Amino acid sequence: MHDVLIIGSGLGGLECGALLAKHGLKVLVLEGSNQPGGCMQSFRRGGLHYDTGLHYVGGLAPGQTMHRAFAQLGLMDLPWQRMDEDFDHVIIGGHRFVFHQGYETFAEGLAKDFPHQREALQSYIRRLQNITAADMDVCAYDYLQETFSDELLLNVVSAAAMKTELRRESLPLFNFAHTCSSYIESSWRLVGDGNLLVNRLTDIIEEAGGEVLTYSKVIRLTEQDGRVISATCANGQVYEAEYFISDIHPAVLCELLEECPSVRKTFRRRMQAAENTCGMFTAQLRIKPGALRYFAHNAFVYDKPNVWTMAEENEPVKGVMISGRVPEDGSENVRQIDLLTPMPWHECKEWIDTKVGRRGDDYKAFCQRKTEQCVALAEQYIPGLHDMVEQCYTSTPLTYRDYLGSPEGGAFGMRKDCRMSMLSFHSVSTPLPNLLLTGQSIILPGIEGVTMTAFETCGKIIK
Amino acid sequence: MTREEIIAEINAELAEEFEIDEAAITPDAPIYQTLELDSLSLVDLIGIVQTKYGVLISKAELPNIKTFAQLYDYIEQHQK
Repeated sequence: MHDVLIIGSGLGGLECGALLAKHGLKVLVLEGSNQPGGCMQSFRRGGLHYDTGLHYVGGLAPGQTMHRAFAQLGLMDLPWQRMDEDFDHVIIGGHRFVFHQGYETFAEGLAKDFPHQREALQSYIRRLQNITAADMDVCAYDYLQETFSDELLLNVVSAAAMKTELRRESLPLFNFAHTCSSYIESSWRLVGDGNLLVNRLTDIIEEAGGEVLTYSKVIRLTEQDGRVISATCANGQVYEAEYFISDIHPAVLCELLEECPSVRKTFRRRMQAAENTCGMFTAQLRIKPGALRYFAHNAFVYDKPNVWTMAEENEPVKGVMISGRVPEDGSENVRQIDLLTPMPWHECKEWIDTKVGRRGDDYKAFCQRKTEQCVALAEQYIPGLHDMVEQCYTSTPLTYRDYLGSPEGGAFGMRKDCRMSMLSFHSVSTPLPNLLLTGQSIILPGIEGVTMTAFETCGKIIK
Repeated sequence: MTREEIIAEINAELAEEFEIDEAAITPDAPIYQTLELDSLSLVDLIGIVQTKYGVLISKAELPNIKTFAQLYDYIEQHQK
């Protein structure tokens, strides 16, 4: 009998496991696939490790947003490397703008390009530092329109928020601000792959007597007297625990709760009818040795100032994030570059019924075409990139769906809507008092959002 | 929908969903006590109204809806 059973081993599940293990609880994490980590896992091809979702983390300097959380989780002594002072470069319509670390330098840097918006930029950074739960009801796009009279600047400050789903009518300011602010505090890359995080959290769980089991897909939760008493896996194993935490998509969780009478139809319907965010297309490029010098910043390239609408437009790709991986061999040159662009689910419709590795030649051609479009756009930042590429691996929302169990391949979980915050932001509690929720669908996506949610979830157990 | 139709439909739905006797739902009855609402099931109630009538009860309006009659009024006034 375990103290806590966690369904799913994404970052949120493992963080909950590590936090509870550090409080002396015996934790069991059940992962359905062959590898723990969810979006944090990496894969190996041709001698190199490729990450699936980890690119950079914000606010890790002492006293900043994420430092205390990561210190408590035992993650601060991993090899974090601070990025360039100019951590994000934005190119829109061929013009380059730079984001500097530190709120004041961020605002002053952009004020050089937009001197007529200096006061607006000051107001903006003050707002980013004073976000409250009330901002779940504020439309981010409306706020930006009220703050910046210069449409280009509105696009520039939003350009690096490709780390969430930019949707004009619904994205809450709460989410937009959390996506941007910690990176302005300070930006960091991990020297190594996301498995460093996964392994560290797993070690903490196991050192406290817990376990992380793979190939253990939970298919049913059983309720008795208003509490969950056990989880049944597809392999027939049944595990009992005092508390249960779900780190899987809430709609998928509801399928496991079919036989739990305390969970109302309305709760199930609400979770299952909730909209999902868009997915991402990623082209992971293996660069020829010595072809490209490493740069410790990201670049966001858009062909025109349509940052908030480009994901809805048809091909070709209108915006791309470029992120390089820290060379681990001390080389000055980079071997791996990720190109990312939003990709709505409807672009996958043709291959919905297919499985990994069996999607057919037309899917390969689609990915090839999309990669070429991303590379063409990225060449505005890295001239000659096309000829530097040695190998390319791609992923689409279908990949997210099939590897991570994310319905419709949503990259940021369930959509949050400022017009209906009570229905789209969720409590970590459920109708079953010993079943809690965690993960990116509940409150906020991203590493910061998932980590903050993990603390909220564990706070219900560690009183 | 007429007010009578709204009342008949929402009462039946709430009685089934919250597993209470439909006779307990009267215009002046207090919603929170009758349905035994907590913060989670309150969201379920908002979800039912939103799904069935496309009517979103805003956070600001929520404190003004204390009885079933006030709920019927709100739906009637805001339905599209």
